[in-house]
Order: sequence, then C-alpha cells, then structure tokens
Amino acid sequence: MLKKRTNLRRRLAWMISAGALAVLSGQAGAEYGDVVINNYSDQAGMRPAVFPHWFHRIRFRCKVCHADLGFKFQAGGNDITMLKIIDGEYCGACHNGDVAWSVENCDLCHSGKPGTKTQVHESTLQKLVAPAGK
Amino acid sequence: MHGYSKILPFVLSSVAIVAVPEIAAQTERGAEVVKISCTSCHGPGILGAPKLGVAEDWKERRAKGLDELVKRTIEGFNQMPPRGGNVNLSDADLRAAVEFILAGLDKHAETPAPAVAERPATVVEAKPAPKPTQRKQPVNNFNRLMKPASKRNPPPAADGIHDPQNAGTTILQHPKEAFSPMPKSNSGNRVDWVKALDAGDLNPRFVLDDPSKTAVTLDLNIVREVKGSMPDVVYPHKQHTEWLDCSNCHPAIFIPKKGANNISMAAILLGEKCGVCHGKVAFPVAECRKCHSKNKPKQ
Ligand code: HEC
Ligand code: HEC
Ligand code: HEC
Ligand code: HEC
Ligand code: HEC
Ligand code: HEC
Ligand code: HEC
Repeated sequence: MLKKRTNLRRRLAWMISAGALAVLSGQAGAEYGDVVINNYSDQAGMRPAVFPHWFHRIRFRCKVCHADLGFKFQAGGNDITMLKIIDGEYCGACHNGDVAWSVENCDLCHSGKPGTKTQVHESTLQKLVAPAGK
Repeated sequence: MHGYSKILPFVLSSVAIVAVPEIAAQTERGAEVVKISCTSCHGPGILGAPKLGVAEDWKERRAKGLDELVKRTIEGFNQMPPRGGNVNLSDADLRAAVEFILAGLDKHAETPAPAVAERPATVVEAKPAPKPTQRKQPVNNFNRLMKPASKRNPPPAADGIHDPQNAGTTILQHPKEAFSPMPKSNSGNRVDWVKALDAGDLNPRFVLDDPSKTAVTLDLNIVREVKGSMPDVVYPHKQHTEWLDCSNCHPAIFIPKKGANNISMAAILLGEKCGVCHGKVAFPVAECRKCHSKNKPKQ
C-alpha cells in the first residue's frame, strides 16, 4: 500500500517536471536563486525586497548566513522586518555601514516589481507548479 | 536644411544595414518599441535619460553616429540598461527604435524630417536579397522550449522580477560580469561553483568579519545504490562542507547515519532532502551526472 503511493507520487513528480520545461522559455527569468521577500513590503507601499544568492555566495559561504546568522532555508520564512534589520539582525548583520553599505539605500534591496510574490526564482518547485507552456 | 544633411548619412547607413523593402513597417515597429520599452525613461527623462523630441538633449549623442547609438542601446551604458531593459527585443527592433527617436527630433525642430518617402528608393533597390530580420515574432526559433543562450543571466533591469523603474535596479551588478572569470556549467547560474571555488575564482568568507579564516572540511563520501541503469549516487561531504556547516544538514535534513535516510528523486524534485538546496541555490536536478557519478560494474 505504502509502496504504491510513493510510486504514484514519484511518477507524478517526474511527469510534472517534464511538462514544466516549457515554462523556461516564455519569460525572461531572473538569476537562478534570486529570492523575492514580500511578506510586508507590498502592504507597506514598498517594492518587494530582492536577495541575490549568486552575488552573496561570491562573498560568503552559505554557513555564514544559514548557520551563524540563523537564516532558515525558507523564502519568506524568517519574518524579516526593518526593526530587526536596524538592530543588526538578518540583512542588518552586514548592511550596517561596516561590512556592507547601510540601510539608507532602500532601493537597492527594495527593487522588485510591485506585486511580485515571495519566491525563490527558477527553483525546480516553481517550475513544477507553474502551468506548462507559458 | 542644414539639419537634414547631417542626418542623411544616418538614413543611408540605416537603409544599408536593414535592407528591407518595407521601410514603413520598420518605422511602425520603431514607434511600437519606443512606446513599450523606451518612453518610461526617455519620456520624462528619468535618471538623466535624453528626452524624446528634445533635440537639445540629443545633440552631442547624435554626433556619435547611428551605429554607435544602436550599439550602446544593445549593450547599455551607465544608467541606460542593455536593450532598454527588454531582452525580448531583437537588434533590428532596437535599431528601428533609435531611428524612430532620431527622426522624431527633426520633426520637433521643424526641419524636414527624414520621412519614409524621402529615402532614396534606388539605394533600397540596389541592395541584394534582404537579410532575415526578426521584426515579427518568429515561429521557428532554434530553441522553442529551452531558454536560448541570449536570454541567460539577464541584467537585473531585464530579468522580470526587478523593477526597471526603480533607480536602484540599474546600480545592481550584471551577473554576467561577475561570472565572466568562472568556469561554466549548463544549468542554474550557468557557473560551476565547485570548480570556481577550487580554482580560486572566488574567495567567499567562512566567517562574517574575518577573511583569514578558512573552511573546515570533512572528506567522507557516502555511496547510495540506485536500482536500474542509473549510476549510483556518491554524496561527497567535502564539497558540501566547503560551503556549509554540519548543522545545516544534520539532523534536520539528514540523520547522520549511512542509509538511515529514505531519499528518492521524487522527494528531491519536490524540494526535500537533497532538493532543499539542489533546484534552488546549488546546481539543479538537471545535472544528473554530478550526483549519479558512480557507474555500475558491467555484467
Ligand atoms: C539590506 C536590505 C534592505 C534595505 C537597505 C532596506 N530594507 Fe526594508 N526590508 C528588507 C527586507 C528583507 C524586508 C522584509 C520584506 C518583506 O517581507 O516584505 C523589508 C521590509 C520593509 C518594510 C515592511 C516591513 C516593516 O518592517 O515595516 C518597510 C516599510 C521597509 N522595509 C522600508 C524600508 C525603507 C524605507 C528603507 C530605506 C530607509 C529600507 N526598507 C531599506 C530589506 C531592506
Ligand atoms: C548573505 C547571506 C546568505 C548566503 C551567503 C546564502 N544565503 Fe541562502 N538565503 C539567504 C536569505 C536571506 C534567504 C531567504 C530567507 C527569507 O526569505 O526569509 C535564503 C534562502 C535560502 C534557501 C531557501 C529557499 C526556499 O526553499 O525557500 C536555500 C535552500 C538557501 N538559501 C541555500 C543557500 C545555499 C546553498 C547557500 C550557499 C551556496 C546560501 N544559501 C548562501 C541568505 C543567504
Ligand atoms: C531605465 C531607463 C531607460 C530605459 C527603459 C531606456 N533608456 Fe535609453 N537611456 C537611459 C539613460 C539614463 C541614458 C543616458 C545615459 C548616459 O548618458 O549616461 C540613455 C541613453 C540612451 C541613448 C543615447 C546613447 C548615447 O550614446 O548617448 C540611446 C540611443 C537610448 N538611450 C536608446 C534607448 C532605447 C531605444 C530604449 C528602448 C528600447 C531605451 N533607451 C530605454 C535610460 C533608459
Ligand atoms: C553576511 C553578510 C550579508 C548579509 C546577511 C546580507 N548581505 Fe547583502 N551584501 C553584502 C555585501 C558584503 C555586499 C556588497 C557590498 C558592497 O558593494 O560594498 C552586499 C550587497 C547587496 C546587494 C547589492 C548587490 C549588487 O548588485 O551590488 C543587495 C541588493 C543586497 N546585498 C541585499 C541584501 C538583502 C535583501 C539581505 C537580507 C535578506 C542581505 N543583502 C543580507 C553582505 C550581506
Ligand atoms: C549538505 C548536507 C550535509 C552536510 C553539510 C553534512 N552532512 Fe553528514 N551526511 C549527509 C548525508 C546525505 C549523509 C548520508 C545519510 C544517509 O546515507 O542516509 C551523511 C552522513 C553522515 C555521517 C554518517 C556516516 C556513516 O558512515 O554512517 C556522519 C558521521 C556525518 N554525515 C557527519 C557530518 C559532519 C561531521 C558534518 C560537518 C563537518 C556533516 N556531516 C555535514 C549530509 C550532510
Ligand atoms: C544544504 C544544502 C545542500 C543539500 C541538502 C545538498 N547539497 Fe549538494 N551541494 C550544495 C552546494 C552549495 C554545493 C556546491 C555546488 C553548487 O552550489 O552548485 C553542492 C555540491 C554537490 C556535489 C558536488 C558536485 C561537484 O561538482 O563536485 C554533489 C555531488 C552534490 N552536491 C550532491 C548532493 C546530494 C546527492 C545530496 C543529497 C543526499 C545533496 N547534494 C544535498 C548544497 C547542498
Ligand atoms: C542532487 C543530486 C541528484 C541529482 C542532480 C539527480 N539525482 Fe537521481 N537520485 C539522487 C539520490 C540521492 C537518489 C536516491 C538514491 C537512493 O535510493 O538512495 C536518486 C535516485 C534516482 C533514481 C532511482 C529512483 C528514484 O526515483 O529514486 C533515478 C531513476 C534517478 N535518480 C534518476 C535521475 C535523473 C535522470 C537525473 C537527472 C535529471 C537525476 N536523477 C539527478 C540524487 C540526484
């Protein structure tokens, strides 16, 4: 019984992934691993924050953020707010005018298109759930 | 009249390169492109963009010649994003747009505009067979489903999630620039991060504020046998501990005991187990051979 169900799930995942390839072509598509964080931004009238993994991993090992600074592996899952940032947590551990430029540069972080949902861009999962063919 | 003689070379050169009989269609396309992709900045003059129809703003720029202006439009410079921030525009589209913008200046200056009809027809006829241009959305693109090479690693302003209207967007780094010294791969960021790190193309800090600290790695391979023809999976601790801490995986994602975890491709595709990272930030599932690296003995 259990075996059967996992088989089904397995086949399902493979099937959707094959269909999902099509989605790649339609849109321009941001850099792989770019995270859009939009729990509060839209409501607050700010553009959503965009976090580029590629840019930061050139400068830091994953460990620095995901172990030492405590970022959980979940887009939007860390409940980041400006209060925490200016008190030196999350992005604020570095964007403090010492390690990296400080928070007054709002539009470098808040650079997403208004209305863009929280997501990891180009993730396999994103491609799975998006309907095939645009 | 003086103004006109200055544009004549532009007109000629544009005709020579485009070499399409339907110049009217070309002008129309130019107008369309400008409306969709250029007026947002060039209308109001955002970020110091030269304004449409304001000859004064364009005087010195024009002196560079049409080809140079088109080149800069394609490649971008300073605050001007490559392709005006719209990667879907072909080179021909952009040329048409720049021509349209320049033609518009002369209308405003009330000098004879290089109107369509005034273009020397003989030049057009003297041209050999028209080169294939991409004015219309072609149906038979070489890559139909896959993202073509030209659309990989787009600049932030053109990537679909950054807002090109936001001043900060244009300051962000173009990924292509950062990746240029690194070894390539066929998926994800199109960079082989493992090789790049080994080769010293990047030197990411292991500790936030101390560049001298180096990673503590564990050299332990775990082989996971796979049924069927697919080669077995070799999970290497070494490459992972270059980047990650033990606590990133143990115990939340994997119990640290060989064979204690039930891993399948379905789970990986759904973003669990190895898929927590592979398919999001680390190289995606498409690279079967990186994980399925141990061939089975021939029977
Ligand atoms: C280092 C990056 C960074 C900078 C710089 C930055 N922010 Fe944020 N900000 C974030 C992130 C990440 C969030 C969480 C986004 C979300 O969940 O919607 C956020 C959330 C917010 C929010 C909504 C939540 C809250 O705390 O009220 C507002 C409003 C906001 N930022 C305003 C600003 C303003 C104004 C500036 C400039 C003075 C600024 N931010 C600079 C990263 C940044
Ligand atoms: C400079 C800090 C930083 C570095 C370095 C970093 N990350 Fe992240 N990572 C983040 C942030 C910020 C998020 C989004 C968290 C949020 O939205 O609350 C994130 C999210 C993630 C996620 C969650 C995606 C999902 O499923 O929603 C994964 C997986 C991840 N990172 C993996 C990595 C890996 C692997 C590396 C190293 C190659 C890495 N990160 C390096 C800051 C970092
Ligand atoms: C995000 C805003 C933005 C958009 C969108 C944009 N431009 Fe520009 N453009 C600029 C700015 C700013 C400059 C001036 C750059 C400078 O001189 O530093 C510029 C300059 C130019 C120039 C002058 C080049 C030179 O060498 O002086 C041309 C030609 C041009 N743009 C064409 C276009 C076309 C065609 C489009 C639409 C397909 C377009 N631009 C869309 C911002 C933009
Ligand atoms: C571990 C330190 C660290 C953390 C945490 C961190 N950053 Fe950064 N970030 C940097 C450094 C260093 C730079 C480069 C600064 C410079 O150019 O001087 C940078 C640059 C950036 C840039 C500009 C990239 C470019 O193209 O120049 C953006 C955008 C950004 N960070 C957003 C964020 C956001 C959003 C967060 C939180 C979700 C965050 N960062 C968390 C260290 C960090
Ligand atoms: C990227 C994730 C990841 C990281 C980081 C990681 N491991 Fe593992 N580890 C695994 C996986 C996967 C297995 C195999 C589990 C299985 O076969 O079910 C494993 C197995 C082990 C085992 C069991 C070996 C055996 O023969 O039974 C030990 C011990 C271990 N890891 C220690 C560590 C230590 C110490 C670190 C940090 C230096 C570390 N791991 C970092 C993923 C990781
Ligand atoms: C916590 C995040 C994470 C998890 C979980 C994870 N990996 Fe990785 N893996 C990485 C990162 C980061 C790299 C460095 C290369 C990159 O980013 O593309 C890497 C590299 C590798 C490499 C080295 C490729 C090479 O070119 O040498 C292999 C093989 C690999 N992973 C297999 C696995 C397998 C199999 C699993 C599951 C058992 C797994 N990984 C789980 C983050 C992870
Ligand atoms: C990130 C590493 C990774 C990548 C990339 C990867 N696999 Fe796997 N694969 C695994 C692991 C781990 C297992 C589970 C092995 C086990 O049973 O312990 C597995 C199992 C399988 C199985 C056995 C049946 C199943 O569904 O579990 C097949 C078939 C398979 N992979 C095919 C592929 C193909 C085809 C690709 C390329 C599109 C691929 N894999 C890419 C890690 C990977």
